[in-house]
Amino acid sequence: MSSPRLLRPLRPFLQGQLPLRPAQIAIPRASTQLRMNATTSTDSKDAAEKSSSKNVSSSSGDPIITRLEELSTEPESKISRMPRSLEALYLQPLRREAEFGHPTCDLQLRSYSIRNLEFFCDFALRAAYYLNLAAFGPIPLPKKIERWTVPKSTFIFKKSQENFERITLRRLIQIKDGHPEAVQVWLAFLQKHAYYGIGMKANVWEFSKIDFAKDMERSTIEETKKLLESKWEHMGHSKKMSIEDMQEFMATERRKIAGGR
Amino acid sequence: MSMFRSKKLDIGCFTNIKIIRDHSKRKAFEAAEPERQALRYVIRNTTLPARTRAIAQLQLTQMHCYTRPTQIRNRCVLGGKARGVLRAFKMTRYNFRMEALAGNLPGVKKASW
Repeated sequence: MSSPRLLRPLRPFLQGQLPLRPAQIAIPRASTQLRMNATTSTDSKDAAEKSSSKNVSSSSGDPIITRLEELSTEPESKISRMPRSLEALYLQPLRREAEFGHPTCDLQLRSYSIRNLEFFCDFALRAAYYLNLAAFGPIPLPKKIERWTVPKSTFIFKKSQENFERITLRRLIQIKDGHPEAVQVWLAFLQKHAYYGIGMKANVWEFSKIDFAKDMERSTIEETKKLLESKWEHMGHSKKMSIEDMQEFMATERRKIAGGR
Repeated sequence: MSMFRSKKLDIGCFTNIKIIRDHSKRKAFEAAEPERQALRYVIRNTTLPARTRAIAQLQLTQMHCYTRPTQIRNRCVLGGKARGVLRAFKMTRYNFRMEALAGNLPGVKKASW
């Protein structure tokens, strides 16, 4: 998941080791012939081309330029590109569309360094896409700036002080219409691949039927009653009162409230 | 007080007797907090008999001074100093400056604005 690995697949192309495979005829874009990793196929034409290109590159000493020249001379029908999954890494993260727009999860990411934060936001968005979650963001929230001023030296040299600050950057990613389980999986995945120097905080909401509380009551009310009875015994007046007792008690209470002891 | 002190050293920062004392005060306060709160509640509850409240007052005043929250003082984890300690870093201003300049505090930079 480290960032340099992202660049690795491109390196052979840049160095001209792998030729950009031209398509012979108009082959559909999804065909495997177009994939870059298919360059090891036993195509004699290709092999010859490869060796020639290598020779050219070794003689001219600038593989990229020769490659570009070749490309420019080739007709339009020859399409070449990376596999889609690889290409997606260099493009904006894909997004799902929310059908209803009910927010189900607010993920706040915090960091002191913008690079890590941006990278991890990107990662989170991609993960959300593949989990079929509609993610919105990253919304930049206000920075938190904390500053401290300390004397540089001992007490008497109060005149020369130094300022320090810590800026916390925050980003918000909101999931809409997410299934609670999918949201949990997403959060767990992000936690598993937690990036250094990034803090995460999530608010999760679950939606259910209107009479959900009623159902809950019905199922739990009996159990809680049993549990609470033993506790209630210690609360208030445990002994039963007769009407006379009650009247007397009320009278004393009234007297107390009036200020009498 | 030695009765509050743990038999084995149970803190990992810079240690001197003042630090250890402060640490044992914190632990004593934590242990006695429910009792203190209960007594405070009894004292303030005007519906209770005056006698009960007076007894509660006496009990609260007779509790050990180590169980009082006011006995706790923030101290520097690097030098044990009690003054000029930055709450956010538990360090005195000088230690904070040294650590910040050395880059040991994540996100803390020299500021200019």
